Amino acid sequence: MEQGGVMEREVILSGIGGQGIQLLSKSLALAATMAGRYAMLAADYGGEMRGGPSQASVVIGDAPLRSLPILPSAGAAVLMHHKFSAFALERLRPDGLLVLNTSIVPAGSVGHPGRVAGFPVTALARDLGAPQSAGFVMLGAYVGLTGVVEPEALEQAMRRLLPPYRAQYGDANARAIEAGLTTARDQVTAS
Amino acid sequence: MTELQLLDGCAAITEAALAAGCRFFAGYPMSPFTGLLESMSRRMTQAGGTCVNAESEIEGINMALGASAAGARAATGSCGQGIALMQEAIAEMALNQTPMVVFNMARNQQDYFQCTRGGGWGDYRTLTLAPKDVPEAAEHTQLLFWLAERHRMPVILYGDPVLAQTQVGVRIEPRDHGPLPPRDWVLDGSQGGTGHSRQVWTWAMGKVTDPGPGPDGQWRAMAEKFDRIAASEQRSEAYRTEDADTIVVAFGTAALFVAYVVDELRAEGMRVGLFRPVTLWPFPAAALAEVTRTASRVLVFELNAGQMLDDVRQHVHDRETVGFIGGVSIHESGLTFGPLLDAAPIRERIVSAIDGQAPASRPAGRGGAR
Repeated sequence: MEQGGVMEREVILSGIGGQGIQLLSKSLALAATMAGRYAMLAADYGGEMRGGPSQASVVIGDAPLRSLPILPSAGAAVLMHHKFSAFALERLRPDGLLVLNTSIVPAGSVGHPGRVAGFPVTALARDLGAPQSAGFVMLGAYVGLTGVVEPEALEQAMRRLLPPYRAQYGDANARAIEAGLTTARDQVTAS
Repeated sequence: MTELQLLDGCAAITEAALAAGCRFFAGYPMSPFTGLLESMSRRMTQAGGTCVNAESEIEGINMALGASAAGARAATGSCGQGIALMQEAIAEMALNQTPMVVFNMARNQQDYFQCTRGGGWGDYRTLTLAPKDVPEAAEHTQLLFWLAERHRMPVILYGDPVLAQTQVGVRIEPRDHGPLPPRDWVLDGSQGGTGHSRQVWTWAMGKVTDPGPGPDGQWRAMAEKFDRIAASEQRSEAYRTEDADTIVVAFGTAALFVAYVVDELRAEGMRVGLFRPVTLWPFPAAALAEVTRTASRVLVFELNAGQMLDDVRQHVHDRETVGFIGGVSIHESGLTFGPLLDAAPIRERIVSAIDGQAPASRPAGRGGAR
Protein backbone atom coordinates (compact mmCIF):
# COMPACT_ATOMS: atom_id res chain seq x y z
CA MET A 1 0.00 0.00 0.00
CA GLU A 2 1.23 3.47 -0.73
CA GLN A 3 1.55 5.58 2.40
CA GLY A 4 2.94 9.09 2.30
CA GLY A 5 4.34 8.38 -1.17
CA VAL A 6 6.37 5.39 0.03
CA MET A 7 5.59 1.94 -1.30
CA GLU A 8 5.14 -0.82 1.25
CA ARG A 9 4.30 -4.35 0.13
CA GLU A 10 2.35 -6.55 2.50
CA VAL A 11 1.67 -10.27 2.35
CA ILE A 12 -0.19 -12.50 4.78
CA LEU A 13 0.96 -16.12 4.79
CA SER A 14 -1.55 -18.50 6.27
CA GLY A 15 -1.61 -22.22 6.96
CA ILE A 16 -1.57 -24.81 9.69
CA GLY A 17 1.14 -25.68 12.18
CA GLY A 18 3.80 -27.89 10.60
CA GLN A 19 3.67 -26.37 7.10
CA GLY A 20 6.55 -24.03 7.83
CA ILE A 21 4.64 -20.75 7.70
CA GLN A 22 6.88 -19.21 10.37
CA LEU A 23 10.15 -20.23 8.71
CA LEU A 24 8.89 -19.07 5.30
CA SER A 25 7.83 -15.66 6.54
CA LYS A 26 11.02 -15.12 8.49
CA SER A 27 13.07 -16.14 5.43
CA LEU A 28 11.21 -13.56 3.37
CA ALA A 29 11.64 -10.78 5.95
CA LEU A 30 15.29 -11.62 6.53
CA ALA A 31 16.03 -11.75 2.79
CA ALA A 32 14.74 -8.18 2.49
CA THR A 33 16.69 -7.06 5.57
CA MET A 34 19.93 -8.59 4.29
CA ALA A 35 19.43 -6.61 1.08
CA GLY A 36 19.28 -3.40 3.15
CA ARG A 37 15.51 -2.98 2.91
CA TYR A 38 13.08 -2.47 5.78
CA ALA A 39 10.95 -5.42 6.79
CA MET A 40 8.39 -6.18 9.45
CA LEU A 41 7.24 -9.63 10.50
CA ALA A 42 4.26 -10.09 12.79
CA ALA A 43 3.56 -13.73 13.56
CA ASP A 44 0.57 -15.39 15.15
CA TYR A 45 0.29 -19.08 15.91
CA GLY A 46 -1.43 -21.48 18.25
CA GLY A 47 0.16 -23.54 20.99
CA GLU A 48 -0.02 -26.78 18.97
CA MET A 49 3.09 -28.04 17.14
CA ARG A 50 0.95 -29.50 14.32
CA GLY A 51 -2.38 -28.59 12.84
CA GLY A 52 -3.20 -25.41 14.75
CA PRO A 53 -3.51 -21.94 13.26
CA SER A 54 -0.27 -20.46 11.92
CA GLN A 55 -0.03 -17.20 10.11
CA ALA A 56 2.36 -14.30 9.60
CA SER A 57 2.26 -10.87 8.04
CA VAL A 58 5.34 -9.58 6.24
CA VAL A 59 5.79 -6.00 5.04
CA ILE A 60 8.74 -4.87 2.93
CA GLY A 61 9.64 -1.32 1.97
CA ASP A 62 12.57 0.92 1.09
CA ALA A 63 12.15 3.30 4.05
CA PRO A 64 11.26 2.83 7.72
CA LEU A 65 7.80 1.24 7.63
CA ARG A 66 4.50 2.82 8.59
CA SER A 67 2.39 -0.34 8.32
CA LEU A 68 0.69 -1.57 11.47
CA PRO A 69 1.80 -4.84 13.08
CA ILE A 70 -1.81 -6.04 12.74
CA LEU A 71 -2.38 -5.26 9.06
CA PRO A 72 -5.70 -3.53 8.29
CA SER A 73 -5.36 -4.69 4.69
CA ALA A 74 -2.83 -6.51 2.53
CA GLY A 75 -1.79 -6.53 -1.11
CA ALA A 76 -1.21 -10.29 -1.17
CA ALA A 77 -2.23 -13.47 0.63
CA VAL A 78 -0.53 -16.84 0.37
CA LEU A 79 -2.65 -19.79 1.52
CA MET A 80 -0.90 -23.06 2.24
CA HIS A 81 -4.17 -24.35 3.70
CA HIS A 82 -7.77 -23.14 3.77
CA LYS A 83 -8.16 -23.79 7.51
CA PHE A 84 -7.79 -20.62 9.59
CA SER A 85 -7.52 -18.50 6.42
CA ALA A 86 -10.35 -16.08 7.33
CA PHE A 87 -7.96 -13.39 8.64
CA ALA A 88 -5.91 -13.39 5.43
CA LEU A 89 -8.93 -13.46 3.10
CA GLU A 90 -10.83 -10.73 4.97
CA ARG A 91 -7.86 -8.38 4.76
CA LEU A 92 -6.75 -9.09 1.20
CA ARG A 93 -7.58 -6.03 -0.87
CA PRO A 94 -9.99 -6.68 -3.78
CA ASP A 95 -7.23 -5.91 -6.30
CA GLY A 96 -4.67 -7.96 -4.37
CA LEU A 97 -2.88 -11.18 -5.33
CA LEU A 98 -4.10 -14.49 -3.89
CA VAL A 99 -1.71 -17.46 -4.13
CA LEU A 100 -3.11 -20.91 -3.36
CA ASN A 101 -1.58 -24.29 -2.63
CA THR A 102 -3.90 -26.18 -4.97
CA SER A 103 -2.68 -29.54 -3.66
CA ILE A 104 -4.79 -28.77 -0.60
CA VAL A 105 -6.95 -25.74 -1.39
CA PRO A 106 -9.16 -26.45 -4.42
CA ALA A 107 -8.77 -23.58 -6.93
CA GLY A 108 -12.15 -21.93 -7.28
CA SER A 109 -13.09 -22.77 -3.70
CA VAL A 110 -12.03 -19.28 -2.62
CA GLY A 111 -13.85 -16.33 -4.10
CA HIS A 112 -11.59 -13.37 -4.85
CA PRO A 113 -12.21 -10.62 -7.42
CA GLY A 114 -8.50 -9.96 -8.01
CA ARG A 115 -5.72 -12.06 -9.42
CA VAL A 116 -5.58 -15.70 -8.22
CA ALA A 117 -2.59 -17.96 -8.84
CA GLY A 118 -2.56 -21.64 -7.90
CA PHE A 119 0.34 -24.06 -7.59
CA PRO A 120 0.16 -27.71 -6.50
CA VAL A 121 3.17 -27.20 -4.26
CA THR A 122 2.72 -30.31 -2.12
CA ALA A 123 2.79 -32.45 -5.26
CA LEU A 124 5.69 -30.46 -6.75
CA ALA A 125 7.73 -30.90 -3.57
CA ARG A 126 7.00 -34.64 -3.55
CA ASP A 127 8.27 -34.81 -7.15
CA LEU A 128 11.50 -33.16 -5.97
CA GLY A 129 11.86 -35.86 -3.33
CA ALA A 130 11.46 -33.18 -0.66
CA PRO A 131 7.87 -33.25 0.61
CA GLN A 132 8.90 -31.22 3.68
CA SER A 133 9.94 -28.34 1.41
CA ALA A 134 6.49 -27.68 -0.05
CA GLY A 135 6.37 -24.30 1.69
CA PHE A 136 9.55 -23.17 -0.07
CA VAL A 137 8.07 -24.12 -3.45
CA MET A 138 5.19 -21.80 -2.51
CA LEU A 139 7.50 -19.02 -1.36
CA GLY A 140 9.57 -19.38 -4.53
CA ALA A 141 6.38 -19.11 -6.60
CA TYR A 142 5.27 -16.00 -4.70
CA VAL A 143 8.68 -14.38 -5.23
CA GLY A 144 8.60 -15.42 -8.88
CA LEU A 145 5.24 -13.71 -9.36
CA THR A 146 6.10 -10.53 -7.48
CA GLY A 147 9.88 -10.09 -7.50
CA VAL A 148 9.57 -8.71 -3.99
CA VAL A 149 13.04 -10.02 -3.02
CA GLU A 150 16.00 -11.46 -4.92
CA PRO A 151 15.86 -15.28 -5.08
CA GLU A 152 19.54 -15.50 -4.05
CA ALA A 153 18.86 -13.47 -0.91
CA LEU A 154 15.92 -15.73 -0.12
CA GLU A 155 18.09 -18.83 -0.29
CA GLN A 156 20.78 -17.21 1.88
CA ALA A 157 18.22 -16.14 4.46
CA MET A 158 16.69 -19.63 4.55
CA ARG A 159 20.10 -21.23 5.14
CA ARG A 160 20.92 -18.73 7.87
CA LEU A 161 17.67 -19.48 9.68
CA LEU A 162 17.95 -23.27 9.65
CA PRO A 163 19.21 -24.51 13.01
CA PRO A 164 22.37 -26.69 12.80
CA TYR A 165 20.38 -29.90 13.30
CA ARG A 166 18.27 -29.03 10.22
CA ALA A 167 21.11 -27.77 8.00
CA GLN A 168 20.86 -30.94 5.87
CA TYR A 169 17.54 -29.64 4.49
CA GLY A 170 19.15 -26.49 3.07
CA ASP A 171 19.81 -27.99 -0.36
CA ALA A 172 16.32 -29.47 -0.68
CA ASN A 173 14.79 -26.12 0.32
CA ALA A 174 16.97 -24.34 -2.24
CA ARG A 175 15.76 -26.74 -4.96
CA ALA A 176 12.19 -26.11 -3.80
CA ILE A 177 12.63 -22.32 -4.08
CA GLU A 178 14.04 -22.79 -7.59
CA ALA A 179 11.14 -25.07 -8.59
CA GLY A 180 8.63 -22.51 -7.31
CA LEU A 181 10.34 -19.69 -9.22
CA THR A 182 10.36 -21.71 -12.45
CA THR A 183 6.72 -22.72 -12.13
CA ALA A 184 5.63 -19.15 -11.46
CA ARG A 185 7.65 -17.78 -14.38
CA ASP A 186 6.17 -20.44 -16.66
CA GLN A 187 2.70 -19.38 -15.56
CA VAL A 188 3.48 -15.70 -16.12
CA THR A 189 4.84 -16.46 -19.61
CA ALA A 190 1.87 -18.66 -20.48
CA SER A 191 -0.75 -16.15 -19.42
CA MET B 1 25.57 3.80 9.84
CA THR B 2 25.21 0.54 11.72
CA GLU B 3 23.82 -2.55 10.06
CA LEU B 4 20.09 -3.05 9.59
CA GLN B 5 19.00 -6.01 11.72
CA LEU B 6 15.69 -7.87 11.81
CA LEU B 7 14.92 -7.90 15.55
CA ASP B 8 11.85 -8.38 17.66
CA GLY B 9 11.20 -5.85 20.42
CA CYS B 10 12.92 -7.98 23.06
CA ALA B 11 16.06 -8.44 20.96
CA ALA B 12 16.14 -4.75 20.00
CA ILE B 13 15.84 -3.71 23.66
CA THR B 14 18.64 -6.14 24.53
CA GLU B 15 20.98 -4.66 21.91
CA ALA B 16 20.10 -1.13 23.00
CA ALA B 17 20.66 -1.99 26.67
CA LEU B 18 24.10 -3.38 25.85
CA ALA B 19 24.89 -0.26 23.82
CA ALA B 20 23.91 1.80 26.89
CA GLY B 21 26.38 -0.13 29.04
CA CYS B 22 23.97 -2.46 30.84
CA ARG B 23 26.02 -5.34 32.22
CA PHE B 24 23.70 -6.93 34.77
CA PHE B 25 20.24 -8.34 34.22
CA ALA B 26 18.13 -10.56 36.46
CA GLY B 27 14.53 -11.67 36.14
CA TYR B 28 12.08 -14.53 36.22
CA PRO B 29 10.35 -15.80 33.07
CA MET B 30 6.76 -14.77 32.36
CA SER B 31 5.28 -14.29 28.89
CA PRO B 32 5.88 -11.97 27.03
CA PHE B 33 8.81 -10.83 29.23
CA THR B 34 10.35 -14.29 28.74
CA GLY B 35 11.56 -13.19 25.31
CA LEU B 36 13.59 -10.39 26.89
CA LEU B 37 15.09 -12.68 29.54
CA GLU B 38 16.03 -15.19 26.84
CA SER B 39 17.69 -12.63 24.60
CA MET B 40 19.50 -11.05 27.57
CA SER B 41 20.75 -14.48 28.63
CA ARG B 42 22.16 -15.08 25.14
CA ARG B 43 23.77 -11.69 24.66
CA MET B 44 24.78 -10.47 28.13
CA THR B 45 27.58 -12.99 28.65
CA GLN B 46 28.93 -12.28 25.16
CA ALA B 47 29.25 -8.64 26.26
CA GLY B 48 31.07 -9.61 29.45
CA GLY B 49 28.07 -9.03 31.70
CA THR B 50 25.92 -11.20 33.92
CA CYS B 51 22.37 -12.40 33.40
CA VAL B 52 20.64 -14.35 36.16
CA ASN B 53 17.44 -16.37 35.88
CA ALA B 54 16.38 -15.66 39.46
CA GLU B 55 14.14 -17.82 41.63
CA SER B 56 11.39 -15.21 41.58
CA GLU B 57 10.75 -11.62 40.55
CA ILE B 58 11.54 -10.49 44.11
CA GLU B 59 14.99 -12.07 44.01
CA GLY B 60 15.51 -10.75 40.48
CA ILE B 61 14.95 -7.10 41.29
CA ASN B 62 16.91 -7.27 44.55
CA MET B 63 19.88 -8.85 42.75
CA ALA B 64 19.71 -5.99 40.26
CA LEU B 65 19.46 -3.50 43.14
CA GLY B 66 22.66 -4.90 44.65
CA ALA B 67 24.46 -4.82 41.31
CA SER B 68 23.38 -1.24 40.70
CA ALA B 69 24.42 -0.07 44.19
CA ALA B 70 27.82 -1.62 43.49
CA GLY B 71 28.13 0.39 40.28
CA ALA B 72 26.88 -1.83 37.46
CA ARG B 73 24.37 -0.54 34.94
CA ALA B 74 21.60 -2.92 35.94
CA ALA B 75 18.09 -3.79 34.84
CA THR B 76 15.27 -6.19 35.51
CA GLY B 77 11.73 -6.71 34.27
CA SER B 78 8.63 -8.85 34.06
CA CYS B 79 5.07 -8.27 32.98
CA GLY B 80 2.66 -6.39 35.24
CA GLN B 81 1.88 -9.45 37.33
CA GLY B 82 5.55 -9.95 38.22
CA ILE B 83 6.25 -6.24 38.63
CA ALA B 84 3.50 -6.25 41.27
CA LEU B 85 5.89 -8.39 43.32
CA MET B 86 8.74 -5.92 42.80
CA GLN B 87 6.99 -2.88 44.26
CA GLU B 88 8.80 -2.88 47.61
CA ALA B 89 12.22 -2.86 45.97
CA ILE B 90 11.15 -0.18 43.48
CA ALA B 91 9.99 2.10 46.31
CA GLU B 92 13.20 1.51 48.27
CA MET B 93 15.33 2.33 45.23
CA ALA B 94 13.33 5.46 44.51
CA LEU B 95 13.84 6.70 48.06
CA ASN B 96 17.46 5.59 48.53
CA GLN B 97 18.37 6.81 45.05
CA THR B 98 19.55 3.67 43.30
CA PRO B 99 19.40 3.79 39.49
CA MET B 100 17.43 0.94 37.87
CA VAL B 101 15.73 0.21 34.57
CA VAL B 102 12.61 -1.96 34.83
CA PHE B 103 11.13 -3.43 31.63
CA ASN B 104 7.43 -4.08 31.92
CA MET B 105 6.83 -6.28 28.89
CA ALA B 106 3.15 -6.29 29.75
CA ARG B 107 0.31 -8.40 28.40
CA ASN B 108 -1.91 -5.37 27.83
CA GLN B 109 -2.36 -1.71 28.85
CA GLN B 110 -3.81 -2.44 32.29
CA ASP B 111 -0.62 -1.48 34.16
CA TYR B 112 -0.87 2.29 33.59
CA PHE B 113 -1.65 2.92 37.24
CA GLN B 114 1.05 0.47 38.33
CA CYS B 115 3.67 2.32 36.24
CA THR B 116 2.61 5.86 37.09
CA ARG B 117 1.41 5.54 40.70
CA GLY B 118 3.31 2.47 41.86
CA GLY B 119 2.38 0.22 44.74
CA GLY B 120 5.23 0.81 47.14
CA TRP B 121 5.34 3.07 50.14
CA GLY B 122 6.38 6.71 50.43
CA ASP B 123 6.39 9.84 48.28
CA TYR B 124 7.96 8.48 45.13
CA ARG B 125 7.29 8.23 41.42
CA THR B 126 8.73 6.12 38.62
CA LEU B 127 9.55 7.81 35.34
CA THR B 128 7.86 5.72 32.63
CA LEU B 129 8.34 5.75 28.85
CA ALA B 130 5.80 4.04 26.57
CA PRO B 131 7.29 3.41 23.09
CA LYS B 132 4.95 3.04 20.13
CA ASP B 133 7.07 0.58 18.15
CA VAL B 134 10.29 -1.40 18.10
CA PRO B 135 12.66 1.33 16.80
CA GLU B 136 11.37 3.72 19.47
CA ALA B 137 11.72 1.03 22.15
CA ALA B 138 15.40 0.77 21.24
CA GLU B 139 15.79 4.57 21.53
CA HIS B 140 13.87 4.67 24.81
CA THR B 141 15.98 1.90 26.30
CA GLN B 142 19.17 3.91 25.90
CA LEU B 143 17.47 7.06 27.16
CA LEU B 144 16.16 5.22 30.24
CA PHE B 145 19.61 4.03 31.35
CA TRP B 146 20.74 7.64 31.11
CA LEU B 147 17.71 9.02 32.97
CA ALA B 148 17.99 6.35 35.69
CA GLU B 149 21.56 7.42 36.41
CA ARG B 150 21.02 11.13 35.93
CA HIS B 151 18.21 11.17 38.48
CA ARG B 152 19.37 8.11 40.46
CA MET B 153 15.96 6.48 40.38
CA PRO B 154 14.10 3.44 39.07
CA VAL B 155 12.56 4.06 35.64
CA ILE B 156 10.18 1.92 33.59
CA LEU B 157 9.76 1.00 29.95
CA TYR B 158 6.11 0.05 29.41
CA GLY B 159 5.91 -2.41 26.52
CA ASP B 160 3.38 -5.01 25.43
CA PRO B 161 3.15 -8.30 23.47
CA VAL B 162 2.98 -6.62 20.05
CA LEU B 163 6.11 -4.63 20.83
CA ALA B 164 7.85 -7.68 22.34
CA GLN B 165 7.15 -10.04 19.45
CA THR B 166 6.96 -8.03 16.22
CA GLN B 167 10.18 -8.27 14.23
CA VAL B 168 11.28 -5.09 12.53
CA GLY B 169 14.33 -3.92 10.61
CA VAL B 170 16.19 -1.61 13.02
CA ARG B 171 19.59 0.00 13.39
CA ILE B 172 20.86 0.17 16.94
CA GLU B 173 22.89 3.37 17.03
CA PRO B 174 24.71 4.17 20.29
CA ARG B 175 23.29 7.48 21.56
CA ASP B 176 25.01 10.13 23.60
CA HIS B 177 22.50 11.89 25.84
CA GLY B 178 25.11 14.06 27.52
CA PRO B 179 27.31 13.96 30.60
CA LEU B 180 26.16 12.26 33.80
CA PRO B 181 26.88 13.41 37.37
CA PRO B 182 29.86 11.83 39.18
CA ARG B 183 29.20 8.31 40.43
CA ASP B 184 30.37 9.08 43.96
CA TRP B 185 27.42 7.17 45.40
CA VAL B 186 28.66 3.81 44.17
CA LEU B 187 29.47 1.28 46.89
CA ASP B 188 32.45 -0.21 45.09
CA GLY B 189 35.02 -0.25 47.90
CA SER B 190 37.10 2.45 46.21
CA GLN B 191 36.76 4.72 49.22
CA GLY B 192 37.50 1.94 51.71
CA GLY B 193 40.38 1.94 54.15
CA THR B 194 39.49 5.25 55.79
CA GLY B 195 37.78 3.66 58.76
CA HIS B 196 34.52 5.25 57.66
CA SER B 197 32.01 2.91 56.12
CA ARG B 198 29.20 4.35 54.06
CA GLN B 199 25.59 3.43 53.90
CA VAL B 200 22.76 3.79 51.43
CA TRP B 201 19.56 3.81 53.41
CA THR B 202 16.05 4.88 52.58
CA TRP B 203 15.68 6.59 55.99
CA ALA B 204 19.05 8.39 55.82
CA MET B 205 19.43 8.28 59.59
CA GLY B 206 23.23 8.35 59.38
CA LYS B 207 25.44 7.56 62.34
CA VAL B 208 26.25 9.14 65.69
CA THR B 209 29.30 10.85 64.21
CA ASP B 210 27.53 11.79 60.96
CA PRO B 211 23.79 11.98 61.60
CA GLY B 212 22.78 12.65 58.00
CA PRO B 213 19.53 14.32 56.95
CA GLY B 214 17.28 11.82 58.78
CA PRO B 215 13.88 10.73 57.49
CA ASP B 216 12.27 14.16 57.49
CA GLY B 217 15.15 15.82 55.62
CA GLN B 218 15.59 12.85 53.28
CA TRP B 219 11.96 12.57 52.29
CA ARG B 220 11.52 16.32 51.87
CA ALA B 221 14.55 16.28 49.57
CA MET B 222 13.07 13.35 47.64
CA ALA B 223 9.71 15.14 47.27
CA GLU B 224 11.50 18.19 45.87
CA LYS B 225 13.52 15.99 43.53
CA PHE B 226 10.40 14.31 42.10
CA ASP B 227 8.82 17.75 41.65
CA ARG B 228 11.86 18.84 39.63
CA ILE B 229 11.70 15.71 37.49
CA ALA B 230 7.95 16.16 36.96
CA ALA B 231 8.61 19.65 35.63
CA SER B 232 11.62 18.84 33.46
CA GLU B 233 11.10 15.39 31.94
CA GLN B 234 7.66 15.56 30.28
CA ARG B 235 7.72 14.18 26.75
CA SER B 236 4.88 13.92 24.26
CA GLU B 237 4.02 13.88 20.57
CA ALA B 238 1.23 15.87 18.91
CA TYR B 239 0.31 14.41 15.51
CA ARG B 240 -1.85 16.41 13.08
CA THR B 241 -3.43 18.37 15.94
CA GLU B 242 -2.94 21.91 14.57
CA ASP B 243 -6.51 22.47 13.37
CA ALA B 244 -8.08 19.35 14.91
CA ASP B 245 -11.46 19.66 16.56
CA THR B 246 -11.24 16.05 17.75
CA ILE B 247 -8.10 14.94 19.54
CA VAL B 248 -7.58 11.30 20.45
CA VAL B 249 -5.22 10.63 23.37
CA ALA B 250 -3.47 7.26 23.31
CA PHE B 251 -0.13 5.78 24.39
CA GLY B 252 2.21 2.98 23.32
CA THR B 253 1.20 0.54 20.57
CA ALA B 254 -2.40 1.78 20.76
CA ALA B 255 -1.17 5.23 19.68
CA LEU B 256 0.49 3.72 16.60
CA PHE B 257 -2.91 2.33 15.54
CA VAL B 258 -4.67 5.62 16.32
CA ALA B 259 -2.14 7.53 14.17
CA TYR B 260 -2.94 5.23 11.25
CA VAL B 261 -6.67 5.85 11.69
CA VAL B 262 -6.04 9.61 11.98
CA ASP B 263 -4.35 9.51 8.56
CA GLU B 264 -7.34 7.65 7.10
CA LEU B 265 -9.86 10.10 8.57
CA ARG B 266 -7.78 13.13 7.53
CA ALA B 267 -7.79 11.79 3.96
CA GLU B 268 -11.59 11.92 4.19
CA GLY B 269 -11.50 15.51 5.38
CA MET B 270 -12.13 14.96 9.09
CA ARG B 271 -10.20 17.23 11.43
CA VAL B 272 -8.82 14.58 13.79
CA GLY B 273 -5.46 14.51 15.56
CA LEU B 274 -3.53 12.39 18.03
CA PHE B 275 -1.88 13.41 21.30
CA ARG B 276 0.52 10.77 22.58
CA PRO B 277 2.07 10.92 26.05
CA VAL B 278 5.58 9.52 25.58
CA THR B 279 6.34 9.81 29.30
CA LEU B 280 3.38 8.41 31.24
CA TRP B 281 4.98 9.82 34.37
CA PRO B 282 5.66 12.67 34.36
CA PHE B 283 2.40 13.06 32.45
CA PRO B 284 2.82 15.75 29.75
CA ALA B 285 0.28 17.98 31.45
CA ALA B 286 1.31 21.32 29.98
CA ALA B 287 1.43 20.02 26.40
CA LEU B 288 -2.00 18.35 26.71
CA ALA B 289 -3.57 21.51 28.10
CA GLU B 290 -2.10 23.53 25.25
CA VAL B 291 -2.99 21.14 22.44
CA THR B 292 -6.60 20.70 23.61
CA ARG B 293 -7.24 24.44 24.00
CA THR B 294 -9.30 24.69 20.82
CA ALA B 295 -10.57 21.11 20.50
CA SER B 296 -14.25 20.47 20.94
CA ARG B 297 -13.77 16.76 21.67
CA VAL B 298 -10.97 14.87 23.44
CA LEU B 299 -11.29 11.07 23.15
CA VAL B 300 -9.21 8.76 25.31
CA PHE B 301 -8.34 5.42 23.70
CA GLU B 302 -6.56 2.91 25.93
CA LEU B 303 -6.90 -0.87 26.22
CA ASN B 304 -8.11 -0.94 29.80
CA ALA B 305 -11.15 0.17 31.77
CA GLY B 306 -9.99 3.81 31.90
CA GLN B 307 -6.73 4.59 33.71
CA MET B 308 -4.88 7.31 31.75
CA LEU B 309 -8.35 8.83 31.51
CA ASP B 310 -7.83 10.17 35.06
CA ASP B 311 -4.70 12.08 34.00
CA VAL B 312 -6.33 13.39 30.84
CA ARG B 313 -9.33 14.69 32.78
CA GLN B 314 -7.03 16.32 35.28
CA HIS B 315 -4.91 18.18 32.71
CA VAL B 316 -7.12 18.73 29.66
CA HIS B 317 -8.09 22.31 28.84
CA ASP B 318 -11.81 21.62 29.40
CA ARG B 319 -12.96 18.49 31.25
CA GLU B 320 -16.41 18.61 29.64
CA THR B 321 -14.86 17.72 26.26
CA VAL B 322 -13.43 14.39 27.44
CA GLY B 323 -14.91 11.08 26.30
CA PHE B 324 -13.69 7.50 26.70
CA ILE B 325 -13.55 5.23 23.64
CA GLY B 326 -11.17 2.55 24.95
CA GLY B 327 -12.03 -0.55 26.92
CA VAL B 328 -10.87 -3.94 28.12
CA SER B 329 -10.00 -6.29 25.26
CA ILE B 330 -7.99 -9.41 26.05
CA HIS B 331 -7.17 -12.43 23.87
CA GLU B 332 -8.69 -15.70 25.12
CA SER B 333 -5.21 -16.90 26.14
CA GLY B 334 -4.96 -13.95 28.53
CA LEU B 335 -1.48 -13.29 27.13
CA THR B 336 -2.12 -10.50 24.64
CA PHE B 337 -4.61 -7.95 23.35
CA GLY B 338 -8.07 -8.82 22.09
CA PRO B 339 -9.73 -7.62 18.86
CA LEU B 340 -10.03 -3.95 19.89
CA LEU B 341 -6.36 -3.40 18.96
CA ASP B 342 -7.10 -3.14 15.24
CA ALA B 343 -7.60 -0.20 12.89
CA ALA B 344 -11.26 -0.93 12.00
CA PRO B 345 -12.79 -0.96 15.52
CA ILE B 346 -10.71 2.06 16.57
CA ARG B 347 -11.94 3.95 13.52
CA GLU B 348 -15.52 2.89 14.30
CA ARG B 349 -15.27 4.23 17.84
CA ILE B 350 -13.77 7.56 16.79
CA VAL B 351 -16.33 8.07 14.05
CA SER B 352 -19.31 7.19 16.23
CA ALA B 353 -18.05 9.56 18.94
CA ILE B 354 -17.82 12.32 16.33
CA ASP B 355 -21.23 11.41 14.87
CA GLY B 356 -23.23 12.98 17.57
CA GLN B 357 -22.63 10.81 20.58
CA ALA B 358 -22.03 13.28 23.37
CA PRO B 359 -18.67 12.99 25.09
CA ALA B 360 -19.12 10.86 28.17
CA SER B 361 -17.94 12.40 31.40
CA ARG B 362 -17.88 8.88 32.84
CA PRO B 363 -16.11 6.17 30.89
CA ALA B 364 -18.59 4.76 28.42
CA GLY B 365 -18.22 1.11 27.53
CA ARG B 366 -16.15 0.34 30.61
CA GLY B 367 -15.05 -3.22 30.17
CA GLY B 368 -17.44 -3.58 27.29
CA ALA B 369 -15.09 -3.64 24.35
CA ARG B 370 -16.23 -6.29 21.91
